[in-house]
Order: sequence, then structure tokens, then C-alpha cells
Amino acid sequence: MTPIIETKNLYKIYTDQASEVRAVDDVSLRIAEGEFTAIVGPSGSGKTTLLNLIGGLDSPTSGSLYAGGKDISGLSEKEIIHFRLHHIGFVFQAYNLIPVLTAKENVSFVMELQGRKKEEIKRRAEELLQAVGLGDRMDSRPAKLSGGQQQRVAVARALASRPQFVLADEPTANLDSQSAENLLDIMEQLNRQEGITFIFSTHDPRIMAKAKRMITLEDGKIKSDVLK
Amino acid sequence: MIARLAWKNIWRNRVRSSVILSAIALGLFSGTYIDSFMKGWIVDTVNSDINSHLSHVQIHDTAFLANNDINAFFLRSFVSEPIEAAGLAVSTAYRLILPGMLASANNAVGITVKGVVPGEEKAVSTIENQIPDTLGAFLPDDARMPIVISKKIAEKLKVKLKSKIVFTFQDAQGEMQSLAFRICGIYKTTNGMFDEGNVFVRYSDIFPSTGLPEGAVHEAGVRMADLETCETVAPPLKNLFSTLSVRDWGELNPALSMSMAWMDFFGIIIVGIFLLALSFGIINTMLMAILERTRELGMLSAIGMAKGRIFRMIMLETVFLTVLGSMAGIVLAALVILPSMKSGIDLSFLMEDQFEDYGFGSIIYPVLNAKMFVQMLVLVISAGILSALYPARKALKLKSLEAIRQ
Ligand SMILES: Nc1ncnc2c1ncn2[C@@H]1O[C@H](COP(=O)(O)OP(=O)(O)OP(=O)(O)O)[C@@H](O)[C@H]1O
Ligand SMILES: [Mg+2]
Repeated sequence: MTPIIETKNLYKIYTDQASEVRAVDDVSLRIAEGEFTAIVGPSGSGKTTLLNLIGGLDSPTSGSLYAGGKDISGLSEKEIIHFRLHHIGFVFQAYNLIPVLTAKENVSFVMELQGRKKEEIKRRAEELLQAVGLGDRMDSRPAKLSGGQQQRVAVARALASRPQFVLADEPTANLDSQSAENLLDIMEQLNRQEGITFIFSTHDPRIMAKAKRMITLEDGKIKSDVLK
Repeated sequence: MIARLAWKNIWRNRVRSSVILSAIALGLFSGTYIDSFMKGWIVDTVNSDINSHLSHVQIHDTAFLANNDINAFFLRSFVSEPIEAAGLAVSTAYRLILPGMLASANNAVGITVKGVVPGEEKAVSTIENQIPDTLGAFLPDDARMPIVISKKIAEKLKVKLKSKIVFTFQDAQGEMQSLAFRICGIYKTTNGMFDEGNVFVRYSDIFPSTGLPEGAVHEAGVRMADLETCETVAPPLKNLFSTLSVRDWGELNPALSMSMAWMDFFGIIIVGIFLLALSFGIINTMLMAILERTRELGMLSAIGMAKGRIFRMIMLETVFLTVLGSMAGIVLAALVILPSMKSGIDLSFLMEDQFEDYGFGSIIYPVLNAKMFVQMLVLVISAGILSALYPARKALKLKSLEAIRQ
């Protein structure tokens, strides 16, 4: 099976005058379609950096990076933004939503950026918000939603563009454990039922436990890679 | 979709948006107000000169302008017929212009006599209104050999109403002619130079002594509906009489048209200062709006909003603010200025006497034309767009990564 993400000897090295930090140090990995993968490791181990590289938010110092069978390390900024819009869904730790738009408008927004049809946008936004359990809060603005509800809107938004995979950097970090588990359950369900590929990072052992594959980083290197 | 988002974004910080909106509105309003007030004042001054003696357009024989030669006349019908046929003027007054000497028992002064048809003259100039009630009337029909002189000349000649004075001039054949007149009215205009040199008699009284052919006149004073009509009508009028000198009020009194042009220039300076202040206000507001949204803009770029669209969003936010503020300013200006254009702004409480001494009315009628409104609007919106460029470019430079890093 062709991997949806493949990195080969990926490096991201930050250099100061004095020191150099190997945030991502010779990482080669393949992630197949439909995986539910957690990237774990201590603080500073390079989780965010790796996810940002895969998501095209940052560019590697060296190494190659294929996403959806395409070498994205050589794309121009314009091309990479276009690639993100059509192929990647993002869930960040915070500041995911546009505060002046309602939950439904936030989910619709990416689809509007993609230029999809009005009826399709409306139908899909409602469907997704139902799926994350927010069918009754579609017209609320983010400020009126709890942290957990906001992250669920973010998950719906990430899926709205029909991406090839979803990247989530510590999506539960700002949530209480109840909401965190709830969010993961929703993600897991979407993965199981719709085959959506999720790659997320976390500190939380209980969240890690829900992953089907767990990649552990340490000092930018892959320390272990277990399939459950 | 981007427009909708931009529109919602400007209402995020209601206070800040309201402040900049009010600044734009008030700036536009006061700029328009000052400009229309100054225009009203200058137009008032111009009109007062036009009404009292300039007319909108004057027509002379070219040679007459060079040396006031009595023989450099034209025939009234030569001018009146084409003007009437073309329907270019509201009314026209034809005059004989005769330089000569005016003498009383005490003194003599060099002046110019204007031989006029009283009915025509009243339709073209306000000279009859420049004669105070106590100082007679403008060439009444029942008077014998009446003459209207100015207060200045009366003082020089030491004469009063009803005094007899003698006018001596050279006729068309070069013979000296003397005619006795009785003072029937004493006028005073706001223009001292004019007052010092001009007196009025009836055309029919002076014509027989000139030795000129029937219907000869030296000057036609043409009156039009208003200043603006004059601008469009003067050129065709000039074409109508290629052999005569046709000059509009601006050419007749360059100083006056200069001051009008200065007013326009002054208006531009005021608008310029206002626009500059406005631009800084907009830049500041938009920079603040962008800085406090750094993370959000980073997120938008991360989820796939193209730079061009982010740029467009910020530009639209600015344009909305500017257009909205401008509209408020226009409404305000219309509400305040339009009524005062009819009723005028009474400044007499300030310094009534001084105004009249200098020949200005104490009531100013602001002048506001659609052109100036449109110009203001275009300028304000362009200033808005220009000042949006910097903040919008700034927004593009934000790195999505740094923006979203926790
Ligand atoms: N812009 C940068 N400049 C220099 N060093 C950086 C930069 N970004 C990250 N680093 C370094 O790279 C290493 C990996 O950072 P990264 O944020 O990827 O870790 P992380 O695993 O996500 O940590 P956490 O669990 O705290 O989020 C760290 O040592 C960090 O200090
Ligand atoms: Mg991190």
C-alpha cells in the first residue's frame, strides 16, 4: 500500500551562534492511509516541528518529504498553501477558529476557500457538526462555546475540506480530561467509520492509549514506533 | 465570502472602529464645510462685483480697449441680434462710454460717462440699489438731463443732490461738447476705484451730442443666469463675435478670478492636511487590528487561505471603514450645509460693521457642488486604500508558523 506520508532522512536543524538544535534528526517514516497515529515524547523532543514539516508549515533543513505521493519540500509558498487547503486538515492547540464567525461558518469557511458549491457546503458543515456532537450549537460563535466544543468544531473544520490526512498538534492540551477523551473518541470514530487518517501529538498517556500506532520521539529522533 | 468576513472583522473592536469612523466622517464633514463656506464667501464677493458693474461678460470694439476712442464703436443690432438668436444671455445693457471732464462751480474731475438705457441697466446691474433712499434714484423718467454720480465724486466736486454739473467731452468729429446735467442720484459701491471714475446718464440725453451714427454703442454688458452658466456660455459668445473683444468677468477683473482660484487651492490644502491625518489614523488602526490578530492570520494561512485573499481581506476592511465613514460624513455635511445654502450663515453677530465697510455681506451662503463632493469622496477613499496597503503588506509578512507557535 502506498504511504500517504513518507519522510526520508528528514532533518530540521536550528542554529544559533553558539549551539545547534536538531529539532528533527534523521527521521524516516511512512504513514499509510487510514492510520490513527500518535506522536509522543517529552517536551522539546520535536513533535511540533515534525508535524509542522509534514504539514508544510515549515521547511526541512534536508531530507525528502512526500505527502499524498507528492514531493512537497520543493513547493513554492503559494503552492504549499494551495496544497494545505486541498489535502491537509489542521487542528491546533488553540486559536483554531475565526472568532467573528459561527461554528457553522467556521466549518464552511475552508470549503468556501476551496470554491465548493453552496448547497454542498451547507450540507457538509451541518453533517460534520452533527458528527462531532454540536448539531445544536451550529450558530454559536466560538466565544460562546467551551474549550472542548471549540476543539470539536476545529475537528469538523479540519475534515470539511476532505483532506487526505489530518494533523493535530496537542489538540487536547487545553482541555480537561473529560473533554479530551471525548474529543479523541470522536476522532477515533471518524477514523474507524470514515477511514480518515489522523496524526496527532500528545503528552497525555490516556490519549496515547487510544492511538493505534505510537511514534515516540526523543531529541528529534524516532525512539520507538509501535503498532497496536 | 471574504467581503463578509472583512465586514464582520471591522466590528470586532467596536470602540476603535467607531473612533476611526467618526474621525473620517468629521474630517470629511469639516473639510467640506470649510470649503463650501469659503467658496460661498468668495462667490458672494465675485457676484457683488459682477452685479454692481462687471457683468458676466463685456463686449467692446478691440480698438476701444486700447485708447477709449469714441469712434471705436459698434452698432447695438450687430451684437443684440446674434445674442438673441442664440439665446445666450439673460439680459444685455448697451452703453456709450465717454471719457471727459465733470465740473462743478468748485472743482473738476476726469471721469467716464456711461450713457445707458435705464431699463436695460437695471436688468443687468444692481447699480440702482447702490443709491441710498435718501440720495435720490437711478435716472428717473421724469427728470430732465439727470446724472448719477458716486459719493466720492460728489465729495470732490462739493456737490449735492439736485446740483448742476457740466460734462465736457470730445465728440466723434473731435469737437468739444459741453452738456449740463442735474444730479438725480448718488451711489456708492464696494469698489472704490469704480466709484472714483464712473457716472451714469441717459443714452438718449447724451447720444445727440456724440456725432455717432444711429445705434452706436461702445460697450455691451451681458448678464447670465449665474456664474456657472457664464463658464459654459462665455466661449460660444466669444466665437459669435470674432471681430469684437468679448471678455468674461475673470478677464475683466483678474484679481477676482485669481482669488477664486486661490480659494480652490486653499481648499485642496485643507483637504490634503485632512487626508494626511486620516491616513495616519487608518494606518494606526489597521496595524493594531493586524497585530492583535497575528495568530488568527497565521491560522488562516495554515488552513489554506492564500496570501492574496488575506491581503484582500485587510484591504476590504479598510475600504469598508473608509466608505462607511465617508458616507456618514456626507450625510452630516448634507444635513448641515444644504439648509444653510438657502438660509445663509449670519455672521453679523461677529462684526457686522467691519464686514459692510469692506464690502462683504454679513450673511454667507455656502456653496457646495456635486463635483467637489465627488472629488472629496474619491480622495478620501483613495487615501484609505493607499494607507491600507502598508498594514495589509505587513499582514502578508507574518509567518504562519511563528503566528501559531504556542
Ligand atoms: N524557531 C526555533 N528556533 C530555535 N529552536 C527551536 C525553534 N522551534 C523549536 N526549537 C527547538 O526545537 C526543539 C523541538 O521543539 P518542538 O517544539 O518541536 O518540541 P515539542 O516536542 O513540540 O515540545 P512540546 O512538547 O513542549 O510542545 C526544541 O529544543 C526547541 O527548543
Ligand atoms: Mg509542541
